[in-house]
Amino acid sequence: MHKELSDLINRNVQGANAVAFIPADSKKFDGSITVEASHIYKVIEFLKNNKETSFNSLHTQSGVDYLDYMEVCYMLTNYDPTAPRNVIIKVKLTDRVNPTVDTIVPLFAAANFQEREIYDMFGIKFNNHPDMRRILCPDDWSGWPLRKDYIAQKDYNGMTVYPDDKMNFEDRDFIVRQDMIKKAQSEKAQ
Amino acid sequence: MQSRWDIGEPIKPTLNVDTEKLKSELLVLNMGPQHPATHGVLRIEIWTDSEIVAHAIPHLGYLHRCMEKHSENLDFRGVIPFVDRLDYLASMNMEWTYAMTIEKMLGTEVPRRAELLRILTGELQRIASHLMAFGTYALDLGAFTPFLYAFDYREKILRLFEEVSGARLLYNYIWIGGLWNDWTDDQLSRVATFCDEMEEEAKKYHDLVSMNKIFIERTANVGVMNIQDCLDFGASGPVLRGAGMKWDLRKNEPYSLYSEFDFDVPVGTGEVGQVGDCWNRYIVRMKEVVESIKIIRQVMDKLEPGSIMGKVPKVMKLPEGEVYVRAECPRGELAFHLVTKEGAKEPYRLKVKSPCFTHTSMLPRVAPGQMIADFVATVGSIDIVLGEVDR
Amino acid sequence: MSTQNNVHETASVKEYFAALWAGISSTVIGMWITFRYVWAVKPVSIEYPEVREVLPERARMRLFNDVLNCISCTQCAMACPVDCIYIASEKLPEGSEIKKTSNGQAIRLQLNQFTIDTALCCYCGLCTTVCPTECLTHSHDYEFSAYTIDTMKYDYLAPDIIAWRDRIVKV
Repeated sequence: MHKELSDLINRNVQGANAVAFIPADSKKFDGSITVEASHIYKVIEFLKNNKETSFNSLHTQSGVDYLDYMEVCYMLTNYDPTAPRNVIIKVKLTDRVNPTVDTIVPLFAAANFQEREIYDMFGIKFNNHPDMRRILCPDDWSGWPLRKDYIAQKDYNGMTVYPDDKMNFEDRDFIVRQDMIKKAQSEKAQ
Repeated sequence: MQSRWDIGEPIKPTLNVDTEKLKSELLVLNMGPQHPATHGVLRIEIWTDSEIVAHAIPHLGYLHRCMEKHSENLDFRGVIPFVDRLDYLASMNMEWTYAMTIEKMLGTEVPRRAELLRILTGELQRIASHLMAFGTYALDLGAFTPFLYAFDYREKILRLFEEVSGARLLYNYIWIGGLWNDWTDDQLSRVATFCDEMEEEAKKYHDLVSMNKIFIERTANVGVMNIQDCLDFGASGPVLRGAGMKWDLRKNEPYSLYSEFDFDVPVGTGEVGQVGDCWNRYIVRMKEVVESIKIIRQVMDKLEPGSIMGKVPKVMKLPEGEVYVRAECPRGELAFHLVTKEGAKEPYRLKVKSPCFTHTSMLPRVAPGQMIADFVATVGSIDIVLGEVDR
Repeated sequence: MSTQNNVHETASVKEYFAALWAGISSTVIGMWITFRYVWAVKPVSIEYPEVREVLPERARMRLFNDVLNCISCTQCAMACPVDCIYIASEKLPEGSEIKKTSNGQAIRLQLNQFTIDTALCCYCGLCTTVCPTECLTHSHDYEFSAYTIDTMKYDYLAPDIIAWRDRIVKV
């Protein structure tokens, strides 16, 4: 299914460069289609509006950080009892400093919150997004928490949010309790 | 590209007075985070024009517990207690979906008895969750007694779950490959009696609340989400079905053993008011309770003694790959997007698609033009659990 | 885009009285159901401190470690998703006798510290399932509120906590 769909995208969207990834064991894993990041709006628009294989809803968007590149996954679905189908469309972003990709909010309103979440967690900016703010973290939080090289900030508004040692060292200290156990046992025996 | 989210643009008041002379402007009202009608810690910034809501902007993150980041440092079994805490009113369904995600990657075969018992617990949890939705929704609209009746019956389910799993809310019961404990015959017979009682009780709820004139006046034609809006926002579950779309993952893309079961998918028909309003969303939930009872009765007929745990390696190492698994939970479609690395003991990335997060994003679309009291009814009718929204 | 739900069209006299009748009759039905609870339904609530519910056998309440059976394998600490179990142990001194647990496993390490931070514990029960000697169990104690969070750390080698053993462990 992914092969045909990627061919269809390539035929209809110029320069989309869709590559289907079909896993070796399709029962265990899900395949996906990777497209050019600059053409994502047109690809999603095509997938939404074409007649044969249309997808009428965006299920979710997910970001993955692979350290040398980042991915944004678009889970599209067709809510239609007669022809249910799902697909994962992916874009790769190699720029880690200032990653940007076009928004798809004009196509699916569901993308509004999902893209805000990806921005919050991965720092990926969505061009033309109407309301590009953080959503789950506070507005003045620094850093992108779900990136793999993320180190949490130590202070936030005068509060220590990430202390040096999270372990409770008092408890881990070596305390000899054997004498106390023996005492308790002898008391019990008496 | 034209923005459909004209929150930042100047707003024209809809009052019939000379606004220049009166110098009137919109009032910003904060609803939440500690507000009994927001079902948790949701803060909604409401811009009101007299009593009419002009804009509603949800502010999330008050219950953000970094669950997705945490799970990247936990082994696959250790994630289950965290998954429990997503939707704390339907933990069984959360665990089940997570277990299905891992099992798909491992290729584990779950024994038949375990699958059937999973359906049993999942449907019981659905009833418990819908009872909670029913009770709190009536409470939102000012009726206190239905809340107590609903909690009485929810308590019976929780008691059963406590006996089976050991905890009342956060079970850690459905494990990867099977279940922790087996149900005894005595407990199963109590489920059967519960089903009979619950069927009678559901009829009582209809007399008490569903057909009450005051309730209908408060909910019918309020907060209409039509099919187009629902698809646009990716809504699912009772919200989508309340809008008249006959879509249930259990029926349309059956997972587990749901294809063997005979049940209906209730949709909003617009008996009272119009399709997609609060009343239809409410009645879909109440009808689903009856459908769940049907499924539970069929499970009881099919149950046979057998093993409840499939073959799972002791040290769980998953192959490299990616999987996206969806399941129908009481509040909508929950999905996990799991990415793993070769030989790693923990998920590389675990994304939770939460239905309530999607439904919360619909509030700015529905709110404009409503009275504040109707807005409370709308928020209640989508039945959000903030543990799942904020993760 | 917005929903117009507050527009009430002017009703005819017939509709007005029909709505009035529907309001009164449906309220009476609801009130009748509620009123029946006065005598027909027994109260379900329990007066808590005087009457206590019997907990089910599998109920997961406060953790208890029977240190005399513990072999310091640290499997519970590894399984714990919130890292609330602290274990310290060392090798037994040369020539000391090797004791056995109740199910026959040899205790080859000397347990020096076994502390659980109950305030951090999430009562998931994963630690009890991996325990090879079944010494770490969930007890049925659920009333252990404390004034300070420090007192929520239980050192299971302390004599007052070892004394719970007589009450909790069923040999």
